Amino acid sequence: MAFVSPGITAFAVEATEFPDLARKYQVSGVPKTVIDGGDAQVEILGALPQNAFIEQALAQVSAAAREPEHQTKS
Amino acid sequence: MSLIAPADQEKLRDAFGEMTSPVRLVFFTQTLGCETCLQTRQILDELPPLSDKITIEEVNFVLEKEKAAQYGVDRVPAIALVGEDGSKRPKDSKIRFLGTPAGYEFMSLIHAVLLVGGRPPSLTEENRRRVMAVTRPITMQVFTTPT
Repeated sequence: MAFVSPGITAFAVEATEFPDLARKYQVSGVPKTVIDGGDAQVEILGALPQNAFIEQALAQVSAAAREPEHQTKS
Repeated sequence: MSLIAPADQEKLRDAFGEMTSPVRLVFFTQTLGCETCLQTRQILDELPPLSDKITIEEVNFVLEKEKAAQYGVDRVPAIALVGEDGSKRPKDSKIRFLGTPAGYEFMSLIHAVLLVGGRPPSLTEENRRRVMAVTRPITMQVFTTPT
């Protein structure tokens, strides 16, 4: 997704080497994906089929992305 | 003595043979206070002998803070994958690995190298369009454990 998208940066994080990050994002199981779009954050626990993953990953952050745009235009 | 069995080296050599463009692995490391940096370097050193399209660039995390910031790297060991655009200029893939790429993560790293090196993304056409439409900065962190 990061390779294709102009905006997305992706980190594969080895949780046991960075317990501070695992604690911060409350990683209780793996894989856990934390998607941070600034004003919106989504967490996905476990692996999902591609369509479902992209649906969940982008739904909230994309929605949040549109609102500020409208505000700046008005 | 290689960390990778000869049969697996051959498989990797075959897979890397499909690469159409070079991939640079920018490796952020430090000498002191990083238990897994050396092991990560040893793993990365296995790759260039298997493909002339793969290079390693070592960056001192302590001395080159600006470069680390440029890649959004705030801890080590970290790897940033840099490919090429259509005009053969360096293009940041925005794919990073934090921690030792061992076990299953090693395969994830190999897949990422192949993707940046020209293998078509596994996204469906519709999903590719949706992802391409994401232009605002979004950070995705995928947490894994060694297996």
